[in-house]
Formats: sequence, C-alpha cells, structure tokens
Amino acid sequence: MKNETLLKAPLTINWAVTNRCNFKCRHCYSRTDPSEELSGTTLFACIEKIVKAGVLSINFGGGEPLLRKDLIEIAAFSSGKGLRVSMNSNGYLIDLGRAKSLKAAGFSKVGISLDSHVPDVHDGFRGIPGSHRKAVAALAYLRDAGIKTSISTVICKINHTAVQELIAFAEQHGVQQLNFHNFKCSGLGYSNKDELDLSPAEWKEFYLAAMKAKERVVEMEISLDDPIVASLGLNTNVKTLVKGSVCGKLSLNIKSNGDITPCGFIPIVTGNIVTDELREIWTNSPVLEKMRHKQPTGKCAACSDYAECLGGCSARALALTGDINNPDPHCWVP
Amino acid sequence: MARLRTGAAVRAATIKAAYTMKIVRNAEVMWREEDEARAQAYEGLSRGDDVSEVGTSILFSDGVMLSLNLLGTEIWKICDGKSIDRIVSELLPHFDADPDVLKKDTIRFIAELAQKGFIRYEE
Repeated sequence: MKNETLLKAPLTINWAVTNRCNFKCRHCYSRTDPSEELSGTTLFACIEKIVKAGVLSINFGGGEPLLRKDLIEIAAFSSGKGLRVSMNSNGYLIDLGRAKSLKAAGFSKVGISLDSHVPDVHDGFRGIPGSHRKAVAALAYLRDAGIKTSISTVICKINHTAVQELIAFAEQHGVQQLNFHNFKCSGLGYSNKDELDLSPAEWKEFYLAAMKAKERVVEMEISLDDPIVASLGLNTNVKTLVKGSVCGKLSLNIKSNGDITPCGFIPIVTGNIVTDELREIWTNSPVLEKMRHKQPTGKCAACSDYAECLGGCSARALALTGDINNPDPHCWVP
Repeated sequence: MARLRTGAAVRAATIKAAYTMKIVRNAEVMWREEDEARAQAYEGLSRGDDVSEVGTSILFSDGVMLSLNLLGTEIWKICDGKSIDRIVSELLPHFDADPDVLKKDTIRFIAELAQKGFIRYEE
C-alpha cells in the first residue's frame, strides 16, 4: 500500500551525536552501541550536506548530547545554516548558564526525559539518584532562557496508569508539549521487555485514556506518535499526510558514526552521511522503499484500520518478529 | 484552490481580519517547496490538467503538517505583510482567474491558515 506523499528529503534528522551517557536507563537503546563519534569538523561538513538536501530541522540526541563538549558549536553551526535546532536531553547537565548558552546557539526547543511524576520512580528507572530533581530544574532554566520545552515520557510498566498525573505534572511545569513515547524493544529495551513492556490490552487502555485527555487539554500539545492509535476507531477530525510510522517518510536517523537508519530503533543501515548523498539514499534506498510500501500480513490483511495504521510501528515488528510487514506486537486488534 | 488536508470550519472573524489587516507568515512555521512536484504541476498546467491535488510545498509547525498546491504555495510565499488586495494583484498575472473569485478564494484560504496558526494578522 502506497503512501501518498514522498518528500524530496526528510523534514527532520534525528542525530545521535554521541552514545556516551551519564545515566543508566533500563530501556536504553544506545548505551551499548560501540559506534565511534564523528569529529566536529566532519559533523560540520555533514550538516552542510543535509542543509543542501533540503532538511528543515535537526534534533540532537544520543546518548546524552550534552556530553559532547562541542555541542554548542555544532548547534550554532546548524542554526546558522538555517536549520531549526532541538535536542533530547536528560537535563542533568543543564543549569541556567548552560540554558542561556543553548539559547544563544539557536536551540528553539529542548525535550527533557521524565518518566514519572514521582521522583523515586523516575530515578530508579533512569538509574541516577537526584535525576528527577535535576530534570525539573532544567525545565525551569530552559524556560527562563527563552527555550520552548517538552517532556518526553517512555510509557511502560512504571507509568502507564498515571496518565492524569503525568499530564498535571507537565502542565505544572509549563512545558509546551508532552510526548508519550511508546516502548521500543531495542538495546536494553529488548533485554528488559518482559519486565517493562505492556500487554496489548494495557496499551489499548493507556491510549484510550491518553486520547481522552488529549481532547481535554488545549494549552499543551500531547503527542502520542504511535500509528496503532488508529485502531481505537476514534474520530479525531485530523487527517494526516503520512499514514503509519513517519520513519523513513518524514524523518531519518543518523548514528554517532554517521550511519543512516530509518529511525533510532531500526538497526538497518541504509548509508553513511560522511560518504553518501542524503537525497540519493532518501530516494533510492530499498529499505526505505520497503518501509513506504508495507504489505499487510497476518491479521493486518483483513483489518479495516490498516489503511491508517499500516501495521503500526515498523521498529517493533522488526525487533520482535523479524519482518517490518508483520503486525505490530502491541496491537490489540484480535 | 489550495489543498488543505486538515479540514476545519473557517470562522467569520479570521475572514474579516483577512479583509482588513496585513497578512504575515508565522515565522515559527518550517516550510519548503518540493521541486519535483512543482515541476510536475507546471507540466500538468501546460497540458491543461487539473493540478489542484498536486502538493508543491510542505508546511510544518507544532506537529501539524500541511501540503499546499501550486496556487496555495504562491499565496503562502507572498504573505509577507501585504494586504489582501496586494496579494491578489500579484497573483492575477500568473493565474487565469476572475479577480473577484480569486480574492474570495484567497481570503478563505488565508483565513483557514490563520485559524491553524500558520498565518498571523498585523495592523
């Protein structure tokens, strides 16, 4: 089944500029990745390439991107080239001075990982005592520096029944957006999936609560970003340009060594930004072609919601079944 | 007319503002033209085809993405503080359209973009 829109280039690049991290998260997908880091000089050349290709925004991640001492320079270079610059961080290294530096470097938005409104629950999940307090402080520093903030919450066993509390917590801290990320079985997320991942019935219950809250909350954007939400059969009055997963259709991921993958959770390398041209990969990669033209298998073949969800998250299907065309293991449809 | 894929009722207030105020693109919106689609649209136009369903630009803001067709894209590009009359006068030489119809359609389009936060009005 074909998606209706193929853009000339990704809108966004998610760029894991380092795999190093000061946290020990139980679901981490990058800490165990031994890939090397590109030098600053090489990164600058690669960023020029993606600008030339037509990319509009770059979102730095990792690892913890602030562990790169040249992150400010990299961000300033990117914003100077016209890219919209953002970052996902655990917030531990952000004080007011750092927040002002980020603003000066052109960061328009910074997402802070916070997995629970309860400090001990967050700290236990992230493996660092005091990390909740530091993350909350980082939100305030960023706001004071004039940077938009979001909270990124990985939904799993520790928080899936606390939708209202998580929303109230995010509202209390004045963030523009609350991102509920579905649990991915990559890296340690795969090793710990039996302990952390939800059952399909639990996912359905979570998304019903989250969608209900999303309708109610108007001052803050609540992002669910999971194609299987289409299977709830709710009329949201929102038509999307891209059906199913956005990976490989609106965005691409670049690893710390320059390898290009459809997303951070799909370990299939389609090229390398140091040696390859982004537009060539975007247009001609057989892997991306397959992701854009998924074929329904199993229960998806007869599902009336397939045209909207396109089998759900390709990364989960690949990780747990070995084929992106297989039904998303989180799907609750019988 | 421009193809907005997220439908919404156009409110009277935004239409009224489009008649009387300066029209400005929201600087927060990321956007770009799609070169191949644009070429495809012009090829279609030269053959006399209906190209209203060919998206030639992408607009993206706060999780909302819109695709505009050729006319919508041209309107979007000149929303830089002009009045509606000035916008229509700049469009007319490039599109075979009745001025009154073009003005009415352009106002509806701009009002819909304003309602989604992609366009702002200034005194």
